[in-house]
Amino acid sequence: MELLTLLVILLLSLGAGLAVQWWPMRRQPLPSYPQRAPFLGGGLPDTHAWSRYHVRYYPMTLLLIAFEMEMMFMYPWAVVYVEKGMMAVMEMGMFLAILSVGIVYAWREGVFHWQ
Amino acid sequence: MHGEAVLRQLALAPGIERVDSPRHASVLLVAGGIPPYLHEELRRVHDQLPQPCATLWFRSEPLLGLESATRIDELDDLPRALIVLHRELMSGRRGSSPRLLPDQPPNPWEGLGDFGQGGEGMMGGTPYGRPMAMNMHDDIRDGLTLDSLTFRLGPFFPALPPGMKAEITLQGDLIQTWSTQLVPYPVSLDAVFLDALQRPVPIAELELARAREHLHRLFHGLRLAGLERLGRQALQLANTLTLDSRVDGLRRRLVRCGFFRLSLSGRGRLTEEQARKIGGFAARATGLDDDLRSEDAHYRRLGFTPVTQAAGDTRARWQQTLAEIEQSLVLAKQAVGQDLHTSETGSVETPHGPWTDRRPEDASRLLGDLLPGLEWGEALATIASLDLAAVSEWPLEAWAAAPRVASHEARRA
Amino acid sequence: MIWRELILPVIVVLAALGIGAYVVAVLDRLIAGTLGMPQTGSAWQAPLARGAWLLTQTANATEAPDWRAWRLAPALYLALAATGLAVVPWSETLVATDLATSVVLWGSVEALATVVIFLHGWSANALFALIGAYRYVALGLSYILVSMFVLIGVALPAESLQFTQVVVSQAELWNVIRQPLGLPLLLIVGLGMTFWGPLNLADSADLAGGTASEVSGPPRLVWDLARAAMLVAFSGVAASAFLGGWLGPWLPGPLWLVLKMLAVLAMLLLLGRLLPRLPPERCVILMWVVLLPLAFVDLVWAGAAAL
Repeated sequence: MELLTLLVILLLSLGAGLAVQWWPMRRQPLPSYPQRAPFLGGGLPDTHAWSRYHVRYYPMTLLLIAFEMEMMFMYPWAVVYVEKGMMAVMEMGMFLAILSVGIVYAWREGVFHWQ
Repeated sequence: MHGEAVLRQLALAPGIERVDSPRHASVLLVAGGIPPYLHEELRRVHDQLPQPCATLWFRSEPLLGLESATRIDELDDLPRALIVLHRELMSGRRGSSPRLLPDQPPNPWEGLGDFGQGGEGMMGGTPYGRPMAMNMHDDIRDGLTLDSLTFRLGPFFPALPPGMKAEITLQGDLIQTWSTQLVPYPVSLDAVFLDALQRPVPIAELELARAREHLHRLFHGLRLAGLERLGRQALQLANTLTLDSRVDGLRRRLVRCGFFRLSLSGRGRLTEEQARKIGGFAARATGLDDDLRSEDAHYRRLGFTPVTQAAGDTRARWQQTLAEIEQSLVLAKQAVGQDLHTSETGSVETPHGPWTDRRPEDASRLLGDLLPGLEWGEALATIASLDLAAVSEWPLEAWAAAPRVASHEARRA
Repeated sequence: MIWRELILPVIVVLAALGIGAYVVAVLDRLIAGTLGMPQTGSAWQAPLARGAWLLTQTANATEAPDWRAWRLAPALYLALAATGLAVVPWSETLVATDLATSVVLWGSVEALATVVIFLHGWSANALFALIGAYRYVALGLSYILVSMFVLIGVALPAESLQFTQVVVSQAELWNVIRQPLGLPLLLIVGLGMTFWGPLNLADSADLAGGTASEVSGPPRLVWDLARAAMLVAFSGVAASAFLGGWLGPWLPGPLWLVLKMLAVLAMLLLLGRLLPRLPPERCVILMWVVLLPLAFVDLVWAGAAAL
């Protein structure tokens, strides 16, 4: 039942979001080509914007993957934490300590700077 | 700088919101005459407003095809006129402004090629009128070979000085090349600076005008940094500037909100040679103590020595701006006590640099050396912290010789 | 049965979302007015007039957008906000989606928000929108960990990943006092999720509006609405996780939650007006080097307090 409610809420809000866009625009012709040119203060681009874009923070995204994996262990850990007591503290403490060394190393290597 | 003066007036007017993109605007305001060589660009910006839209021409001649547009000459009526236009558009009492450019893709393309993309091979041709980015250069930071995007920006881009146009190549969000194609419009100074070239003028008046000029620049910088509220405070301070005004409150707020430490990255460092070329406060923020006021006997009597900063980056320039405003207010107050006038004529230190035998010249060509390697936001913050435009030979009041700026304004109830 | 478990919760969530988004707009104007920015007309009418204007205005198009993604992104962002608000408990029994893992569900909303905001900027095929999109990903990938550690922190004393349990665990002492670092960190995450104020990297002024720079008319209305709705959903989560949700004397539970949500919203909108925008690089370094270690400290603190 919970999931059904969630699905109804999701579909209704998604539908509303699409309907508000679609209803006033259903008879609207496509704007003229000059209007569709990207806004550059009166200037024009040479090419389309889609390209092999140079993402400047790519090493940071690799570091994130290490932590995202760790999150998966953390969810069940959080539930049994009080029950397991000190053992849970030690286990997660060690895990986090190792990952923290990773952050310090990454920082020293300048991973968070725009490459 | 009259277009700018109009913008400042509107920034303080309630009910009018200045937007950053014509897509968000309902009314295009053109303040001042636009020279014919910019008409094509103005037509482009005009056509980029989604319908329904309207135009308002302030002391300006409407473009061909927009003869029925509203014209206005009185600055005080401007906010009201914008609001009325918006209201008429919204209620449907006013039709939309017509499109000026023909409805054609930038290049012909349809139907040609294996994929209908308009050319030979996978990436050839001009789908929807433009080629795909295929322009590989080794990156200046990490040497990766990826696509770079080349485009021309301006002359009506809100974050650039009015009138400035540049051809820019970006790789990612980093500037790879920047070449200034059109320099910004010359700025007009308060008449007192021009008078100071002819005859002695009261130092108090000169210094207040200088502080006002710096506060106006601060307003633009703060707006770009997302500090609209403090920008308005700087503007209000400029409008009500007296000998007893103080900038302590503004400085304290700027420090507390982290403008210097968080928002400014400390990039955009000038070399000594560049600083010398730009002159004025930017040079003093780089550690040069060039200031024509040091040569004036009456300034020396007031104990004037130039304030300088060492770093020469964006942060130092804004610190310098604040320090110079403070210094100007102190000087003005002392000078009025002793009723001092300037002793030198024929040269004056303007807020935009020294004016001796020649006016301060345009320095925007320097950006080609200064900006490559900066991230986009850092580059715009650097431009905002500099003051590159030449100084006009006409003082501020002469409306007829108004430099031109177009900006789009949307009005919200 | 159907009424209590399906229809009523759906109505509550959707009404809260709509009214909440309107209240965000009103509150933002009231705060701007208090801070000395002149406003005309009544703050209550202005958002409605703006909405009416955006419905009047025609929608812009770009030369070759990814149409489906471009129109879907604002609607999806709105749907994510609704999903987020669905897990917020209004009282012990009135919860739209009382999953045993509702904290995890909220975490996925945060992660998917990054995808949707990226999609909004990317699909326009315009330069500034594209830069805004990639900038936002840098921010989104940085705040997500801070948010997760902080939320795990509130799950520890509750011994559960269910928001109702999290609220119940605060019956004696609210988490805002028990874990003092948590709420400030989560508020920063909230500004990031809605790219509001200092963390408005996606739709910033230097990009002429960023991901929204090419958007006008009804799609822009949905985008603005979704942003405000996400702020509402976030304030519900923050109020439940740190301010004791529905708990409180005298007044009925849902009213307490609404009051606490309003307090969180006012705080966020005030921060949005007072702070300058951070440069993206500075932002990433700050998140990883300062805020993430602080989130560790918060977790250790929460763990020590829970034992």
